[in-house]
This record gives sequence, structure tokens and C-alpha cells, in this order.
Amino acid sequence: MKIALRWPRTLASQLSLIFLVSLVLAHGLSFSLQFYERYESAKSTMLGNLESDVATSIAILDRLPSAERESWLPRLERRNYRYLLGEGEAGQPIDPKAKPVAARSIDEAIGQDYRVTYTDVPGPKKHFQGHLKLTDGTPVVIDVFPSTLSYALWLPVVLLVQLGLLTGCTFLAVRMAIRPLTRLARAAENLDPNVHTRPLDESGPAEVAFAAAAFNSMQSRIASYLRERMQILGAISHDLQTPITRMKLRAEFMDDSTERDKLWNDLNEMEHLVREGVAYARSVHGAAETSQRIDLDSFLDSLVFDYQDMGKQVQLQGKNGAVIITRPHALRRVLVNLVDNALNFAGAAQIVVGARTEGELSIAVLDRGPGIAEAELVQVMQPFYRVENSRNRDTGGTGLGLAIAHQLALALGGSLTLSNREGGGLCAQLKLGAPVRA
Amino acid sequence: MEHVDHILIVDDDREIRELVGNYLKKNGMRTTVIADGRQMRAFLDTTPVDLIVLDIMMPGDDGLLLCRELRVGKHKATPILMLTARNDETDRIVGLEMGADDYLTKPFSARELLARINAVLRRTRMLPPNLVVTETGRLLGFGRWRLDTSARHLLDRDGTVVTLSGAEYRLLRVFLDHPQRVLNRDQLLNLTQGRDADLFDRSIDLLVSRLRQRLLDDAREPSYIKTMRSEGYVFSYPVEILDAQP
Repeated sequence: MKIALRWPRTLASQLSLIFLVSLVLAHGLSFSLQFYERYESAKSTMLGNLESDVATSIAILDRLPSAERESWLPRLERRNYRYLLGEGEAGQPIDPKAKPVAARSIDEAIGQDYRVTYTDVPGPKKHFQGHLKLTDGTPVVIDVFPSTLSYALWLPVVLLVQLGLLTGCTFLAVRMAIRPLTRLARAAENLDPNVHTRPLDESGPAEVAFAAAAFNSMQSRIASYLRERMQILGAISHDLQTPITRMKLRAEFMDDSTERDKLWNDLNEMEHLVREGVAYARSVHGAAETSQRIDLDSFLDSLVFDYQDMGKQVQLQGKNGAVIITRPHALRRVLVNLVDNALNFAGAAQIVVGARTEGELSIAVLDRGPGIAEAELVQVMQPFYRVENSRNRDTGGTGLGLAIAHQLALALGGSLTLSNREGGGLCAQLKLGAPVRA
Repeated sequence: MEHVDHILIVDDDREIRELVGNYLKKNGMRTTVIADGRQMRAFLDTTPVDLIVLDIMMPGDDGLLLCRELRVGKHKATPILMLTARNDETDRIVGLEMGADDYLTKPFSARELLARINAVLRRTRMLPPNLVVTETGRLLGFGRWRLDTSARHLLDRDGTVVTLSGAEYRLLRVFLDHPQRVLNRDQLLNLTQGRDADLFDRSIDLLVSRLRQRLLDDAREPSYIKTMRSEGYVFSYPVEILDAQP
């Protein structure tokens, strides 16, 4: 199995990695250095001791009468080595080139006076022995147990605790650094100038407080721009409505003529544009309407009947039995815009309610009109966008109908997608959140 | 002498009120044009009118305030048609809650206004309601249903909104205004034809059956709308006012 090592993606893990690795490395280095120092000094002390000690001990043994030697042995014994009389145990002779340091120290101490041969004694406790003969020919063995460097039992525990401390502190520090960033990102994501969002908490470290304050002021700036835009649009449309009303009334006093009809059509177009403009501004700004539990079948039924009563070719297909929580006027507006669009370009519209599916509700408005070029399917939902082909102003559109429907669909927590149907025509599909009662 | 309808037009825009006045005059009505609420009160003190066209957006006392004032005073029977500048559902709902009989969004055409005026006059004259529920009740109850007359929809027992089409709502309102009273098809057709008078051509029978479906009423054994053979229909269920107008 190949484990791909790659640079982690999140800032939190990157920071954690850097902190942890560098801290552990630095810590490990200083620990090893100290350990090595201690080891070296302990070794040189020990070897120094060994050197002088062996020289003295052998000299003592050499001078002692052979009968007394045995009784001196325990007194000469040290922690790591002892002296034995006799030939010692059998073992592998040691290659003189690969002698242990302790053996070399022994050579240094007594090598000039005695010929020492070394053997390795295998066994559960590995040790080596140096064999030599005293001046009277008595064989003596120096039995050396090379010491493993002793360390306290609690050392690994301390190391583990340190490692834990490092990990914990890294985690804490990274979290502290990341959390405000995450909070800011979430606030930016949830930023919806239509709703009165709570301002971000401006407490915390100076940098965090500064960022939060900057974000809050940006948020209120956006809200005030939107408010201003709404006010301007509202004022313009209101002030336009009075002169348009006057002109329409005056036109009605004019004699029947083509000029009058043209004027009348222009006025209707202006009126439509003003209305749609306000409706669009409002849809972006979000509606003040409250949500209600709506019986979907009767909702769609009544919409279709209203069209049919006006002599329009609108059909409803499918029943769903769902009860949804939504803003009825906004939803109606979305559907009315889609149906009007279909009627404009195809003369007939069909509303199809999707079957009950988990968590989603789909309402499609279908027509058999000219459709929209694939490349423009998304763009047509931009305000005032007009497609090049037959869908143009002559058919009475303001270029806002789909934009309003799109905005409102988003405001309702749903989505609107356009697609071309097989066999020609447009399919506008509205998807809404989960029905309450399926 | 034949009765000439006297229409009072209250609008702060001089040109609009005069143009409207002239148009209505040309169509055989008597009109008086007035600029604000103060003048309206003074005029109504001396002269009764058949209908008031009231603009919502006016400096000083606005149309909504005047409408509410008229509804509690001695002119509460005078029909009111509101003119609203904003194409906003809330305006419409508030206007109807304040007791207006109908509303029209600016910019409107004089022809449309005339049609609406005639429809409102016909509605209020043809058959005076024997229960003035829609005048006074915001929320009407009958059986398992409640009708919200300002939002124009039905509410089920659990508060679920059951939407009515325009024609269905008007028909139901006619029934609720005249409970326990047999209404023939002509009466129903006339009363139900609201704003889309010239466009509406569905037969009353079809509309009644649609409304029954909406009310989950069994056509063979209806509990709300009963068929009176060769006579028409009767709304046989008692209607109660659950929430009165303020």
C-alpha cells in the first residue's frame, strides 16, 4: 500500500503540523544533546576510574601472598567488574581490533606489564573477560559487565507528558488562531443583507476585534446601499406612476386612431416596466411576508383555474398531497412569472408537480415554445438580459420576469433551473425544500 | 326620474381626479372631485353619495385612515373603491381590511375604473346581504373551515392554508353573505362576476362543484352547499364571525 504524503489543506492542520514538528524536533534535539553529554561524561569518568582501579587492583593481587588473594577479591569488586582467580569461563576470543572501550582502558592500565587476552562470554547477561597471568603465574580473570547507561524509570513518563503538553498547547494555540477566522468566514457566508443579521462579536484579541468590526461595518454598508437602492427605485416608480396614470387617462379621451393605440401600448409597456422594476428590487431585498402552511394541491389548482378563467391555456398535471411551509405570495409570483413567460412564447403552459421525493419538492412549468439556446440558459435569469432570437421585447417582456422568479426562488430557499425539452420548448424547474407532510 | 349614480373622487393629484371625473361624467355619472380628507368630510356632511373612489397615498390623512373612519361613521354603507399606487399585496390586504369594497392599482385606465365601479354598485345593490359578515368579519367560521376575508383563503382545522381561485373566493363569499338563502344561477353569476366580468364565462354549476371539492364537500350529500332542484343553490351551514374588524 502506498501512503501518499501530502501537505494538509486546512490552515489548522498546517499550523498544527508546523508547530508540533518543530517543537518535537527542538525538544528532541535538546534532550538528545543532554543525554549524549551525560553519557559521555559518565563514560569517561567510569573508564578513568576503571583504568586506575584495574592497575591498582592487579598490583595489589600481584603483591599479595597467593593464600590471601581469595579474601581480597570481594573488596576489589566494583559495580561493573570483578576479579576472579582461575581460567574463567569458556568464550569466544575477541578480535583485538574490535575490542570494547573498557578492554582498551584495561590495556592502557596494565597492558605494558601483562599480556591480556579477552573472551566474550555469551549468556543471558553478556559480558567479557580479560585473562592474564600474575607474575607468579596465577591466572586472573577480570570479569567486566559493560554497563548499560542507567536512567530513571520515570524518564519515559516525563517524555510522554512533555509530548502530550506539546500536542495540547499546539492544539489550543491553533484553535485560538483559527476560530475567529472560521467565525468570520461563516458570518460572511451567511451574510444576507435582506435579513437583519446579528453583528459579529467584536471582543477578543486586537486583530480579531478589528476584523470583526471591519466586517460589521461592511455588513451595515451593504444593507444601507440596498435600502437606498430600494428607496430610489420605489421613489422613481411611484413618481412615474402618477404621470403614467395621467397620460393613460388623457389617452382615453383621444379619438380612436392608430396614434392613440400606439401611445396606449407604450404606456402599458412603461407601466409594466415600472412594476417589474419594483418587484425585482423587492425580490432581491427579500419579502416581509410571513411563511404559512400551504396545501400545495389547492394552491396550484387555484392558480391554474385563475388562468383558465381568463381563457388562458394552462394545465396542471399531477397531485402531490403535500403541505409545505412557504411564503405564498412569493411562490405564486414565481409560478405566475414562469407561466406568463410560457404563455408569451408558446401560448400554452403546463404545470407538472413532481412525485413525492425525500426532502425535495419539484414544480416544473413546461412549454412548447422556441426554447432558449443552451449557452444562454443561465444568463436569461440575469435582470434585463434578453436573448438574441425570437424572445425579445416585441412579445411584451421586460427582461425581469425570470430574474424575479430566480431571486424569489432563492429567497424561498429553493432553486430555479431552466432547460430545453426534448422535442422543443422550455422547462423551468422550481425545487423547494422538504414538504412538511408528504 | 332615473337615478344617476353620484361618485365622489378623492385624490390629491388635481389632473387625475379631474380626468377621472370627466370620464365618469361622460359615461352618465354624476361626479364630485375633492383633494383631501378634510374636504371629503365636509362634503359628505351635506351630500350623500353612491360610491367613493379613495386614493391611498395622500398628504395629511391618508386613504386607509379615511376608509376606516367612514366604516365606523354614518357612511358605513357607502361602497369604497381604493386607488393604490404601490403594486403591493400588503396594500391590498390592508385596504380590504379597512373595509374597502375593491381596489385598483395605479396606473389604471378609466375604462377599468368604470367597470369596477359598476361591479361594486351592482354587487351592493342587487342583493343586500342579510348577514353583513364580509363587512364586519375578518375571519368567518363554518364547519371545519375558517375563511380569512383579507387574505382571501381558507384555513383548515390545523391552520393549513387552502388557496381559492378568484372566482371560487367570490362565489364562497356570496354564499357566506347570504347563508340559508336560495340563490339562483343568475344571481350567483352576477354576484360572482367581479373584476374579470367580461372574461369570466364558466358556468355556475362547474364553479360550485369546484368549490365543493375545495371544501371537501361530497356532491351527493353536501353538508355546506346544497342543490335546490331547478332553483339554484343554498349555503345551509351556519356561519359565525370569529374575528371582527377592528
